[in-house]
Amino acid sequence: MVPSEKEQRDNRMRLYKKEGNSIQILSSPSDDVEKGDYLLVEDNMVNRKLITQVIDVQFASVPGILEELLRDSTTEEQVYGENFDPLGVSSHINHIQDARMLICKIRGTILNDKLSVNSSWLPCRSKSGITKIPVNSLLAHVGGNDGLPINIGETKDGSPLNITAHDLDGRLNIITGKKGTGKSHLSKLLVLGLVDYGATVVVLDLNGEYTGMGLSANGDGGNEYSSRVHVLTPGANFKVSLAQMGLSVILKIMIHALDLPGTSTREFKHIWKTLCQQRKISLENLGEAIKQSGGNMHVRDALFSRYYSLVNSGFFTDNEDSATSFEKLFEKTKKDGGALVINLKDVSSVDRQIVLEYTLGVLVKILGQWKIKSVFLFAEEAHLYLRETYWEDIVTRMRHFGLFTNFVTNQPDTIKENIYRQADSIFLFNFTNERDLETVSKAARVDSETVKSLAQELPPHHCLLIGKAVQDFPVMVKVRALDIKTMGQTRLFFTDTNN
Amino acid sequence: MVAVDVSSIRIGETETGELCAIRGAIVWKEKNRYKYQRIGPFPFHITEQNKNEIHKLFRNHYFEFSEAQNIVNVPARMGNLLERWLQLGISCSTHGAIILWDGSMTAGTIDSPADEVSRLLEVARNRLSTVLAFSKNTTLRFSGHKLTDYAGKVVPPCLLQINDFPASLGPILLLGNIYVAKLTRGVCSFRLDIDKKVPQENGIEAVQSLLGSDLLVQSYPETLRLAHIYSTFTATEVIGIQRFIAHQYGLKIVTRPNVRRMLFGPFGKGAEG
Repeated sequence: MVPSEKEQRDNRMRLYKKEGNSIQILSSPSDDVEKGDYLLVEDNMVNRKLITQVIDVQFASVPGILEELLRDSTTEEQVYGENFDPLGVSSHINHIQDARMLICKIRGTILNDKLSVNSSWLPCRSKSGITKIPVNSLLAHVGGNDGLPINIGETKDGSPLNITAHDLDGRLNIITGKKGTGKSHLSKLLVLGLVDYGATVVVLDLNGEYTGMGLSANGDGGNEYSSRVHVLTPGANFKVSLAQMGLSVILKIMIHALDLPGTSTREFKHIWKTLCQQRKISLENLGEAIKQSGGNMHVRDALFSRYYSLVNSGFFTDNEDSATSFEKLFEKTKKDGGALVINLKDVSSVDRQIVLEYTLGVLVKILGQWKIKSVFLFAEEAHLYLRETYWEDIVTRMRHFGLFTNFVTNQPDTIKENIYRQADSIFLFNFTNERDLETVSKAARVDSETVKSLAQELPPHHCLLIGKAVQDFPVMVKVRALDIKTMGQTRLFFTDTNN
Repeated sequence: MVAVDVSSIRIGETETGELCAIRGAIVWKEKNRYKYQRIGPFPFHITEQNKNEIHKLFRNHYFEFSEAQNIVNVPARMGNLLERWLQLGISCSTHGAIILWDGSMTAGTIDSPADEVSRLLEVARNRLSTVLAFSKNTTLRFSGHKLTDYAGKVVPPCLLQINDFPASLGPILLLGNIYVAKLTRGVCSFRLDIDKKVPQENGIEAVQSLLGSDLLVQSYPETLRLAHIYSTFTATEVIGIQRFIAHQYGLKIVTRPNVRRMLFGPFGKGAEG
């Protein structure tokens, strides 16, 4: 409903105070303004506009309010009564009592239709008009790449919000929020959005939550993505042969996943190279070679224990036909896009490390050889399997190889501060814990006050988009539903067996 | 036990006159609970043009109101008018009650027309009600001392009757017996007027009833305290009324420069003007 001119005049928001990049706007209770909304402070005299975002809504400090409340605080049990107010003045008094102060952050200035981040300009307090602006018109105004839209959901004003696949391309993104708020759901939405545009996505799926992405929501068969979602379960349909991996990959596994000491590593390298020269690389031959190797008994024991870890993982096979080839899988995804979901559910932590070292090693190898242009990596709770040295590597070096990472976590403090600082976009779901918010607020692309104030009150399935994906205008969005089978729900003990 | 109080407040100034508002509150005790009825707020715009109309209204109620009267004083007079009207309403509608007034029974002043106050007391008397008027401040002095100072060291509850005042001081009539009331422990004592035409023992009995049935803090009846609290305007209400006036009647409040402040800077204290 469009408010009448009179209503607009009566409910006119007024600029009250400006301090640094914060401004306070006096608003009436009938103004439909909430946290996260954008307001345009327009000074027509100088043809300048200030773009501000409401980060908190407080009661205005009205004189006499304490007396008013004290008078009314007498309980009904002691004093009660009626008001004879034939003129209806009390509604105006209530209006004043409920006057609000909108705490806003300045996001930019528009001068002659050009946006700048300058917040030093002071608009006219008495003459400036203040209006609410829909997020979409704001984002349209500030520009950005319009191609390859991915619909995330809808903004508070009910209009659809799209980011573009370009916003994820070559970028580092973090999806975080407390348990059960919808992180994985958004992550799936982004995965499928990328797949829609032919991208190759690798998902490190810790809890088997992404395995239903190719199934419809009601579970009665495949959905439109069924042919493009490939679930790889280590030891089942995801096995590799030693022959297909190079020395660098197997060494990463031995050193980082299986903690092979230096001396033993040197011996292992020697054995591996010998087998290579003989073209006899296989699990069986490796075991035999370790057995036959001379030298220190302790070294041999160390190599054997690692060898048996490899064998027991069930991840390795000597049968080339049953071995999974990433290159072949990527060939499939090249044309129409696709997601490789590596299902790490029920995989022990050591085996998980082995699978991860292999996967990342192979990815870098393939990308390095330009066999594929780029891969979008979605890593759930990466701190559980990503070794310390990988973090830096992933966000700096691997980016140049075309590996673009999206971290998904409910423990924001497991991601280092420097990762937050380099993150291009953050998809922030609800956190109530101050410490968690403090961690996320270290992100360079937004002030901590905004993060703390907006994220604390996000309902489930609502997220705050921060960063390049929204041209640095933080936006609250209700994440849309997907026609995919939901996995990863908590199995409950007290479930109704009748249902 | 019924108490009545009225507040008036200046809301602002327009280009053509003064804005004010009045509100009354009646508080009574019902089954150990206090009940109140607030009447108002009633905002008024007093201008040179409607002064005559107001004059007529006042004259109908025996209030002296010379046409030459400064409109700045009108809000207080309007408050008095509402107060008397409420007091009359209470006198007429109660029987055998103790009616508490805020103020004295001094009549014949600009805000207390003798005929009107006499009539109010008479109506109450006829319905076997007793009016007790509590004054927070009094200008009366006895032997050079402020009246209420006499109750400083007495043991409460105590009523000191001051008999030395004549029944009339020129046009001013003292329609009540004047007492200094110190009803509870504490530093406060008040001037209490009890209708002269009520037998003295009945008046004392009314005070005894008050002691037995109402809460008294610092010698002041809670019913009357609540009446004051519920009628008083807070700053929020003043802003709300300003908004109502602007919204409903399109009247714009003007802010005049503070001449004192302009001339004397930080030394410009006291009333504006």
